[in-house]
Amino acid sequence: MTHELKFGAVKRNTVKLGAAALALGLLTQAAAAESTVTLMAYSGLFQERYTKAVVEPFMKAHPDIKVTYFPVNSSAAMLGNLRAQKAAPQADVVIMDVSVSKAGTDESLFTKIDEANAPNVKDLYPTARIPDVAGVAVTFDNLVMLYNSDAVKEAPKSWMAMADKTYQGKVVIPGMPDIQGLSLVIILNKANGGTDYLKDVSKGIAAMVEIAPNIQTWEPKPEVYAPIVTGQASVGAGWNARAQVNNQTSGGKLKATIPQEGTVFQINTINLIANGPGGDAAKTFVNYALGPEAQKAFTESMFYAPTNAKAPISQDALDRTAVKFMDKVIPVDWIALAKVRDAIGEQWRRRVVPASR
Amino acid sequence: MSAIALPARSARRIGPTGVVMLLLLPIALVNAVGFLWPVVNLLRMSFKETQATGALIDTVSTATWATVLSDSFTLDLIANSVGVSLFITLLTLVASYPIALYLHRSTGLWRTILLVLVIAPLLTSAVVRTYGWIAILSSQGLIANALLFLGITPPRLMFNLTGVVIGLTEILMPYMILALLSGFGRLDPRFEEAALTLGATPWKTFWRVVVPLTAPGMALGCLLCFVLAISSFVTPKLLSGGRVFLLATEIYDQAIVTLNWPVAATLSMIVLVLFGAALALYTRALRRIA
Repeated sequence: MTHELKFGAVKRNTVKLGAAALALGLLTQAAAAESTVTLMAYSGLFQERYTKAVVEPFMKAHPDIKVTYFPVNSSAAMLGNLRAQKAAPQADVVIMDVSVSKAGTDESLFTKIDEANAPNVKDLYPTARIPDVAGVAVTFDNLVMLYNSDAVKEAPKSWMAMADKTYQGKVVIPGMPDIQGLSLVIILNKANGGTDYLKDVSKGIAAMVEIAPNIQTWEPKPEVYAPIVTGQASVGAGWNARAQVNNQTSGGKLKATIPQEGTVFQINTINLIANGPGGDAAKTFVNYALGPEAQKAFTESMFYAPTNAKAPISQDALDRTAVKFMDKVIPVDWIALAKVRDAIGEQWRRRVVPASR
Repeated sequence: MSAIALPARSARRIGPTGVVMLLLLPIALVNAVGFLWPVVNLLRMSFKETQATGALIDTVSTATWATVLSDSFTLDLIANSVGVSLFITLLTLVASYPIALYLHRSTGLWRTILLVLVIAPLLTSAVVRTYGWIAILSSQGLIANALLFLGITPPRLMFNLTGVVIGLTEILMPYMILALLSGFGRLDPRFEEAALTLGATPWKTFWRVVVPLTAPGMALGCLLCFVLAISSFVTPKLLSGGRVFLLATEIYDQAIVTLNWPVAATLSMIVLVLFGAALALYTRALRRIA
């Protein structure tokens, strides 16, 4: 009996030990294989939605890779970080505005993304590959006219409704050097007969001068959406994705529309940082972020238009993006535009801002 | 520097000057690392260039300086910033002087309570206080509603220069009051009594006795407020509505939005020169007063 007891005890101990060893083994195995990818991207709403829609599902599908989200509030600040870390990069992947990623490309901060290191690149829309930029487009957004549905009953048909006397002191537009103000100049330039925005935007500037007296602020804070939701302002210009989320969270107080003059795309690119610490895991993440699953999840979560043509996006979400209105999208070469941005800003400062005083 | 490298046995030989040097060393090091080095970096940055795409070119050239200094907008910026900051400094002085004088003359618990009230706003960040002003000055705010109630159409109180001036004046007042108080040491109530006994009117006593005696405090307060006003960025950014062009907000735009670091650095160096000029003026004024 004692023998049996002893034996039982030994058996139990062996089982316990075995289980412990197994658990330990699994743990060390996980620890050994786990690599970390640091993703630098926008803070706030973008971080919240991107983490849920892309980062968490990615980690579930790749238990050996841990993704750390490093939030930064603007593309320019991201470039500042990358410049400071050039000798020893701390991040692997960065999501930023296309014109900033062009500057980063020219400073040799990135590794080129192509079919070889991210096979999903083959399914991207042609516009998602930007010449002379190391990264590729990961989201498309577009400028929309915002309005408060209590103050404005019918969706405005034209951007020039913002010049209407009824909206005096009730118009909010993030002014230049913000690219939302710049985008509006380009849209209105074309609407008024301008042909090449790289050569002459005087017609767009003239249209902005008409809107300027109605402006409440050129610097809506924290963003352009809040004053429209609260009713402090009635109409304005902002980006579609955030407008759609604000439309949902405000219970329809803020609405967005693309007026007859059209809209322009804003492009966020995803970029591989040269010599990042994450190595091949970073490429795996970039490929996933460009894949149909991630593109579908993020579009359905935050309504950026997808850059992957094969992403099976629900009709409901697609209706909230510019995909349906492609005929209204005015093509803009952001890289070429960056070169004349200062000159346009000069006209904005000398003509548009004084007209708003 | 060499004092630290000396072996311990020579410590006895360090004279009074040596001790002073030794005691100054830590703060000198902190300043060298925390102030001098970044300024040198900034100076170096102002001699770099950017490509049209925003990419930084690592060269040594005066191109950025030439562009910035030849642009008439820069001169507008400087004139505007200096003018607005001087105006705000003057308003702060006028608004703070009576409070400081009253505080100087009060005693006991009452003085303590008043001092705490003056210092309390400094414990809150400028961002929060600026948002407070937005609530008060907005078109649906306290003042606008009060004016509407009285049948007056309210003027635009913020998202323009008016808002910036109101906000910054209030935000800078505690600094001015504290600077004034620290300079009021020479103001002995017996001087005023003597003046009054000798037949001076209260007004004359104020102009001929109180003001000259408090002038050093005023000079210090004005220097402090001018420097803080011209370098303040949060309040103008939130209250100007993009209608007022100031050096500090332009530096922000160049560094953070347009990505032109060399231009931002050049403008920062110009602000530093303005600081130097203000300091020189202060020293001269102080010599004349004292």
